[in-house]
Amino acid sequence: MRIESKAEQANEVDMTPMIDIVFQLIAFFMVITNFEQTQADERVKLPKDALAKPPTVKREFPLTINVGFDRDKKGNKIDPEAWVFFGDEQFRVEQAGQKLRDEQEYYKTIGTDPKEVTVEIRADAEVPTGQVQELIKMSQESGFEKFALRATQESR
Amino acid sequence: MKIRNRGKGEKIEAQMAPMIDVVFQLLIFFMLTLKIVEPEGDFNINMPIGAPSTQTSEEINLPDIKVRLISNDAGQLVDLQLGRQSLGNGQQAFEQLNVKIKQVIGGPNNPLTKDMEVEIDADYNLHYSYIIEAISKCRGTLGPPPNYDLIPYVEKIKFAAPRPPS
Repeated sequence: MRIESKAEQANEVDMTPMIDIVFQLIAFFMVITNFEQTQADERVKLPKDALAKPPTVKREFPLTINVGFDRDKKGNKIDPEAWVFFGDEQFRVEQAGQKLRDEQEYYKTIGTDPKEVTVEIRADAEVPTGQVQELIKMSQESGFEKFALRATQESR
Repeated sequence: MKIRNRGKGEKIEAQMAPMIDVVFQLLIFFMLTLKIVEPEGDFNINMPIGAPSTQTSEEINLPDIKVRLISNDAGQLVDLQLGRQSLGNGQQAFEQLNVKIKQVIGGPNNPLTKDMEVEIDADYNLHYSYIIEAISKCRGTLGPPPNYDLIPYVEKIKFAAPRPPS
């Protein structure tokens, strides 16, 4: 209430509409952001499919395995051979057996039957099928039974 | 600047500047952490160990629907076969597969054929995207708009033993 400076009174800007908009924006970004740590690996370019639907019930014990290629920034393959991206590690498909056995041991120590674990395979669209099948076979040898093959949901 | 009630009920103006500062900080934070992730879905495949022996024998076991995918060395699809019938390659082959599967099971939600399984047998080199497409075509089709509900065909899909690399 500056009554003295009535003469050269600065035109005060009405802040309310701006704050309204900014809050709207914040609400929008908050809703759209998901902080859920995904196991997704951006090096894997999943195949697209219209029928690929996210599971209606969240899986209790998912174990995500990424199979993809080393790509440069433009998305071209640097290495023609596929890699398995598992956590921070990277190894060839043939070497996945040991890792899967370790996982099985881990699930046993926490008291989970490996049969209850769903192995989610995120394989690149260009990975040879045989390698995915080998991975499934190795998982079976480690006692995993449920599998899910991931694909990007194609927009209609 | 209401000068009239200067004396007693003087209104306290809220300080907007710090709030706006914080709000902008928040806005920038959320804008930067935003990562657009494409929605992902998946196809369940059930591959219990020793699958053939676990089947119950009291029911009439319907034979598996065999889908064979033949590839060239580069991993492209050369031929898609349903049983012994060749469907060719390309998109129309997959559409045909979808139609044929529907015929084989006798329409969606047929109680007689609900236990039928599809066995996918693919060459080693074949690109994985064809497998997803084949699984998708065996799994069902999308209903009419606007809901695009899934019309299920075959729920159970498994893989044949992997073929050795050529």
